[in-house]
Amino acid sequence: MKYYPTIGIECHVQLNTKTKLFSEVDNDARNKEPNSCVSPVDYALPGMLPRLNGEAIKLAIRAGRAMNCEINASSRFDRKHYFYPDSPKGYQITQFYHPIIGEGYVELPSGAKVRIEHAHLEGDAGKLTHFDTYSLVDLNRVDTPLIEIVTMPDIHSAKDAHDYCKALWRLMCYAGVTNGDLYNGNMRFDVNTSLAPEGSTELGTRTEVKNLNSFRSVERAVEYEIKRQSKLLDAGEKVIQETRGWNDATGETTGQRSKEEAKDYRYMPEPDIPPINLSKEFIDTESAKLPMMPKDYQEKFKGVIADDILEILLDYAPLMQKLAEVKNVKRVSNWFASVLLAEEKSAEYLNDLPTAMQLDDLAEMVEKNELSSTGAKDVFLKFFDPQMGKRDAKTIAKEMNLLQENDLGALEAIVDAVLANPATAQAQADYKAGQEKVLGFLVGQVMKESKGKANPGAVSEILKKKLSK
Amino acid sequence: MKITREEILHLAKLSDFELKESEIDGLSKNLEDIIGYISELNSLDTEGVEPTYQVFEMENVWRDDEIQPQEANREDLLALTKEQRQDQIKVPKVL
Repeated sequence: MKYYPTIGIECHVQLNTKTKLFSEVDNDARNKEPNSCVSPVDYALPGMLPRLNGEAIKLAIRAGRAMNCEINASSRFDRKHYFYPDSPKGYQITQFYHPIIGEGYVELPSGAKVRIEHAHLEGDAGKLTHFDTYSLVDLNRVDTPLIEIVTMPDIHSAKDAHDYCKALWRLMCYAGVTNGDLYNGNMRFDVNTSLAPEGSTELGTRTEVKNLNSFRSVERAVEYEIKRQSKLLDAGEKVIQETRGWNDATGETTGQRSKEEAKDYRYMPEPDIPPINLSKEFIDTESAKLPMMPKDYQEKFKGVIADDILEILLDYAPLMQKLAEVKNVKRVSNWFASVLLAEEKSAEYLNDLPTAMQLDDLAEMVEKNELSSTGAKDVFLKFFDPQMGKRDAKTIAKEMNLLQENDLGALEAIVDAVLANPATAQAQADYKAGQEKVLGFLVGQVMKESKGKANPGAVSEILKKKLSK
Repeated sequence: MKITREEILHLAKLSDFELKESEIDGLSKNLEDIIGYISELNSLDTEGVEPTYQVFEMENVWRDDEIQPQEANREDLLALTKEQRQDQIKVPKVL
């Protein structure tokens, strides 16, 4: 039988605030020792009072606006109780009843819209590492601010699930609310999938695959679930509502039947944190801080950067912001595209971008024929060299001996030397006999003689003139 | 209101409490008394009354996003745990 899949996605986004959501310790635990970014509040010692980070509220407003969402003037925190060593409090502080972000939507490249049901602020849990007979707890991640973004069941294919996650990732990166490092779990996706017979108005039983951290794994997990559930339904069996884990190596999901029966989180209002009541002015001021979004750049660069190249470059928000500053967008974007596509280190090139002035100067040198296009690429790569990177384009070109020889007198001397060389006699004769293709060989000889610094266009003209005599 | 033995065991499990057989009946009785006392409130008409989330009438209590030095360091905090290993808290294996 044919089935129609319905998919809903929950995404946890780690906010890039300086401090945690409820304590004044470092929120950036990258490359830090375990339990070194931890306070008595994170340990939930008796009598500790969580204090809400105002920046997280501002970032939540921006994230919400990036998804075209309503911002709720009034929101509150609740306790979600569960007992697990990753949470010393014995509960998570979250927004169950009154989330800060209301309804909105995310647009997919296909034009389809995935509606956002709501998004709420909450604290992350600690990190567990499991060993054969024990587990170790690192509380650095406890109460890192998260927004959890919940979609309506608007997605109906593995491809759209992939596209939604990627579109959402871009929105969050451009909004500047997260570091967006998927490998390190800055965004994690939980995917609900169910199947219903085609034409049916009721949804089937869903499964939830938790903690996916790449677009590709989201796509594969949905593909797998559609296949697995179809097989069950075809055989007349039932899909069990359960949480399933994803194994990236095998490409399969497996049931994780928890021993605990129905979930029972015993939500209650969080008494330690007074409600948030936002004025219209406050919401408007924060909303106005939303920078240009991917869509804005697509419009801005339409017709200037080729669509396929723009699609690659759009994955890098800081690069788009840089391109918006430069004058010669076409040339500069091509350099970045070729580096990102061809060089092994690719994204590392974007950690410390050259200035707009460096880039424009370099583009101008090519326009003025002071530099060949290959020479320009060499200089461009040097911009990322920690030793040379801060110098201007001309200085680097000079240092690398790449400036093109445009002095016609000097060029003529080199051409004459090449023509006087007996090794080129045959080629000269061939050219004069009408084999114009030989000109390329002669230009090459001159280029070689000039150590690549001659302007090939000028050389070609001089050669033609001399050989027609 | 009757609190069943199953409900007591369920609650204990949610909080990871180990209960002695002899404690179960007593707890049922205690909880029944507490809930019975509180449920007096059900006789009031609360139609149209906003729930009370807190009694201090405070709102928007936020702090600045600045890292502050902490009085307790990692060693102080780890010293409070039952067992530690490699600067982490050691717990029975959980999955």
